[in-house]
Amino acid sequence: MKLSELISEDCSKAAVLFNSKKRILQYISELAQQKIPDSNQHDILEALLNREKLGSTGIGKGIAIPHGRLSGLSKVVAIILVNQQAIPFDAYDDRDVDVFVALIVPDGENKQHLETLASIADKLTNKVFCKRIRQAENDSELYQVLVEFDN
Amino acid sequence: MTQKWEDTFLIRNKLGLHARAATVLAQLSAQFNAQITLYQGEKSAPGDSVLALLLLESSQGKTVRVECTGPDAQGALLAIGNLIEEKFHEAE
Repeated sequence: MKLSELISEDCSKAAVLFNSKKRILQYISELAQQKIPDSNQHDILEALLNREKLGSTGIGKGIAIPHGRLSGLSKVVAIILVNQQAIPFDAYDDRDVDVFVALIVPDGENKQHLETLASIADKLTNKVFCKRIRQAENDSELYQVLVEFDN
Repeated sequence: MTQKWEDTFLIRNKLGLHARAATVLAQLSAQFNAQITLYQGEKSAPGDSVLALLLLESSQGKTVRVECTGPDAQGALLAIGNLIEEKFHEAE
């Protein structure tokens, strides 16, 4: 699965500036709501917060993959955010986080979810990719990095 | 002396080796003085890397081989085996 197909250009946000876990999750839910017309932002935020309560989605190396399940969703909505500074996110390696790849996923479809996670992990294990997305100065540049590394 | 211990385990939980399960496994792996590697098919991942573990795409019903080397190898294998067998402490 290509990351640039999973994440659309209007869901790629470079050099944003949020100072807390809650604020960044609010922003993610706001963006996701715009992609899911029948949803409301509150439900999406609740799903994301509930998942964080089970354990941080900070997966180390300054990266987090906040995600939540939403019933009735027809396909995954994915968002990439690069924050200008790393913020505390309770990651398991205790490192602050500045790269966020967020997913709103349909209920069930567990195998598909694992495939989506693997597609994301495949890019995020690439140090050059991580460096380039952190350097992107605007949204379009960030999206172009996704496209470039898909090809 | 370097000890090497290995065994295979069935992924039993419904969600497979998803992000939370992978994180719990990585946290557990980091507690041992051992090099821990998970194998599934032709893919392998260090036990303490969440990203690498996600790349295994281990879903329910898959078998993974866990290989541990180092002073705590035996304890590490036991703990990780238990975690997988106990469905990563998940309800289903």
